[in-house]
Amino acid sequence: MSAPDPLRDEARLQEIADLDLLSPDVDPILADLAERAASRLGLPVSLVSVVLDEALHVAGFHGPDGLWLAETRGHPVEWSFCATSVRTRAEFVVEDAESHPEHRSNPLVTQDGVRCYAGVPLISSRGHVLGNLCVVGLEQRSFAEEDLAVLRALAEEAVRRIERRRVA
Amino acid sequence: MMPSPPGGAFRLPGYDLQEPSEADAVAALERVFGPERAADRWSRACREAGVLAGHLATWAQLGRAVASLAEQGGTTAVVARSMEIRMRTFARLSASAAAAAAGRQP
Repeated sequence: MSAPDPLRDEARLQEIADLDLLSPDVDPILADLAERAASRLGLPVSLVSVVLDEALHVAGFHGPDGLWLAETRGHPVEWSFCATSVRTRAEFVVEDAESHPEHRSNPLVTQDGVRCYAGVPLISSRGHVLGNLCVVGLEQRSFAEEDLAVLRALAEEAVRRIERRRVA
Repeated sequence: MMPSPPGGAFRLPGYDLQEPSEADAVAALERVFGPERAADRWSRACREAGVLAGHLATWAQLGRAVASLAEQGGTTAVVARSMEIRMRTFARLSASAAAAAAGRQP
């Protein structure tokens, strides 16, 4: 029997509900962190993601106008780079998505041109991985330890802001 | 508005994304809550949406049932949001594909 998938763990999903992370008023308190992540790492897109059971929800967004992701505020979870961190509880870096074994056939890569990704998990005070603070680029690139340190600091600030929303 | 019924048979080319269906919604609920609790939640959502569980005939009916599911709150609302996002993504990318096929941008 295989281990249960953390994505569908009811306690983790309850934590997302308790923190009211699906509310539209979350973006204004997280968007500046996404903007800072993109700016500091010199990449066009950054998200504060919340990984649900079957979809990624965009809780905070920074990116150019016209991206469909800004309209849908999410995408199917099977396309999600951020879901990896929910399962591993670790940072996840993809420097060349076209050659990455898990993501080279991902539609975000084949159709939308994603080429690099770096994400740091958002872990609540109750120990649940909610999602990631991540950056996304359209060209291959490497990520230095200093880059990840920037993301870690912004992820910690995101969790602090998120925890203030706890309703249960 | 999407075509009806939401049978889940159509796959969006390139994205290999299947049109969301009632069966997908029920399966998602079952993966989180197990069959019995999932059935309770779905039947209640359909009843309150004024549609017949197991017999949703249109995309609009599926949307109403999922919206009703979201009103149950808590973890059920989280699962409902997943379904909403999958429906929005399918609709948005289908529209883009149709527009591209017609030689214009949406």
